[in-house]
Amino acid sequence: MGSEPIKNELAAEGRSLWQDGLRRLRRRRLAVVCFVVVVIYFGLAGFVYLAEFMDWRVGPVNWSQEVGKQYQPPSRDNIFGTDIFGQSVWRKTLYGAKISITVALCASFISVFIGVPLGAIAGYFRGFVDEIIVWVYSTLSSVPYILLILAFAVVLRDKSLFGHKLTGITSVYLAIGLTSWVGICRLIRGEVMKHKEREYVLAAKSYGCGAGRIIFRHLIPNVFHIVIIDFSLRFVDFIHAEVILSFLGLGEATRPSWGAMINDARIELSRGVWWQMLAATLAIFFISLALNIFGDALRDCLDPKLKTEQG
Amino acid sequence: MDSNGVLLSVENLSTHFSTEDGLAKAVEDVSFAVEKGKTFALVGESGCGKSVTALSIMRLIPDPPGKIVSGRIMLGGRDLLGLSQKRMRAVRGNRIAMIFQEPMTSLNPVFTVGNQIVETIKLHQRKSSEQAWADAVEMLKQVGIGDAERRVYEYPHQMSGGMRQRVMIAMAVSCQPELIIADEPTTALDVTIQAQILDLLDELQRQNGMSILLITHDLGVVAERADDVAVMYASRIAETADAKSLFESPLHPYTQGLLKSVPQLGFEGERLPTIPGVVPDPLAFPTGCKFHPRCAIGCDDKRCQAVEPELREVRSGRDVACWYAPGYESRQEREEYESKYKR
Repeated sequence: MGSEPIKNELAAEGRSLWQDGLRRLRRRRLAVVCFVVVVIYFGLAGFVYLAEFMDWRVGPVNWSQEVGKQYQPPSRDNIFGTDIFGQSVWRKTLYGAKISITVALCASFISVFIGVPLGAIAGYFRGFVDEIIVWVYSTLSSVPYILLILAFAVVLRDKSLFGHKLTGITSVYLAIGLTSWVGICRLIRGEVMKHKEREYVLAAKSYGCGAGRIIFRHLIPNVFHIVIIDFSLRFVDFIHAEVILSFLGLGEATRPSWGAMINDARIELSRGVWWQMLAATLAIFFISLALNIFGDALRDCLDPKLKTEQG
Repeated sequence: MDSNGVLLSVENLSTHFSTEDGLAKAVEDVSFAVEKGKTFALVGESGCGKSVTALSIMRLIPDPPGKIVSGRIMLGGRDLLGLSQKRMRAVRGNRIAMIFQEPMTSLNPVFTVGNQIVETIKLHQRKSSEQAWADAVEMLKQVGIGDAERRVYEYPHQMSGGMRQRVMIAMAVSCQPELIIADEPTTALDVTIQAQILDLLDELQRQNGMSILLITHDLGVVAERADDVAVMYASRIAETADAKSLFESPLHPYTQGLLKSVPQLGFEGERLPTIPGVVPDPLAFPTGCKFHPRCAIGCDDKRCQAVEPELREVRSGRDVACWYAPGYESRQEREEYESKYKR
């Protein structure tokens, strides 16, 4: 049976894209630090979820209830001071992280679930299907982004979907997700167009794979690093979008969020109450910076095209 | 020659590509037949239409720009060109399988090799996952990969070129196809590995009784492995014969030129004989016989310049497309021609 086994034939020393990328990522200390920062934010948001779920009473039941002296400057008890109701600004910031990260995560998943299949289908089939999809996303992207999100958020607000009333936060991430799949769709479309000419696709066809199987089983896993990179870079935009929407009063009304905090602080600043503004902006600043640096590093490490330019 | 029946017959196949610069007739009026259990070699230079012929048989020509404009591809009495896409998919991998030139790129990098063999098996056979994985290990053993139980979980990048080609072969034979199309299966490999791969194909052919359509530009491989040969030049078949008589007495000037340009043991000249000129551009083929500008016999012949010779049987089992091949035309035709072209 079979010709004699070739045990001594040495396998070529090779690393996959992922192993290679992660190895290079680990060598970048700044990227690792930023990753840790991002993990801390996620951890805090997760902690708030857990606390609410377990009923640990970390935060008050009603945020617009007077609980203490208003406008206390930062002190040992309240490191970021208190707001108009005497609530701890530090706690508000913590709860804001939860809202922002929830919205950004949900919006990312929505945009990936819309953008990736559409981009892959457009890139694979080309022709008429491609033209329709390109037409749809060109139309979407021709409207200024913030205006589009605003329009969606206003329309979706307090509507009900499948019997569920869309609360503030749901309408926010739906609005962001439904409007921001254009970028990932475009990237995936281009990458799929490139990949479908590769020999492994021809080989898959030659052993009987249909179009659906080739797109979803063969092509998408091969272009998925693009999704990861885009996800990490786009996440910041989603956090910003959430902040803008809640700043404009379209977001979560009953629970604190960074946007609402900035909106409150707008008036407080004239009275010399600066700590609420500082807390919210610092929170946004650090996660934006960390995600940007980490996302860039991730792109450098995972995108084979940049391999030669970046060590 | 004992003939035990024709498995695949390609009849008057033409495949054209419409490009920005015009219509490229990549395959023109190609006919040949692959017999059951035999190896049929399709030989020719780069760009002569060998691979397009293979892809046309699989119906994998990218459309657009390519299109099979005419012909029939009969596999066991059924015309593949008339099948629906769905039924064609059931043929691919199951009745006809293909091995590609580049083992480095023809395996999907994100799957383990086992995964890909299992996918092929499960596409065509009703088998449980455990059964399919057991089959995959068995296939890897059959193609001579040692430690198959472990190797089946490895990724293509963990294997060498020769091993990947073995995996490709394992995938190709996993559903016991009747025909394997091997498109330059050894071109990208080391010479030592080349022989191993060809031996492996021979052995699998003996075991399973499958036919092989071997596409190659390597005449050495043809001489060793093929039962029948078709020589392609500029989208057409110049000559078909069984391998032995082709090498003993090539009839077409192009085949003669090719054979002369292969270095022989004990050759004592300064330089190897070559065929002058280059392969013509498919967008601008010469008129008449496409080989005439490079042909030692026909370059000044007015008929060769004006009229393309069709493939004709000149002897039993020997087809050739050349006005000058012995026995190509009757005396009457020759006289007609002479009165027409030579004043």
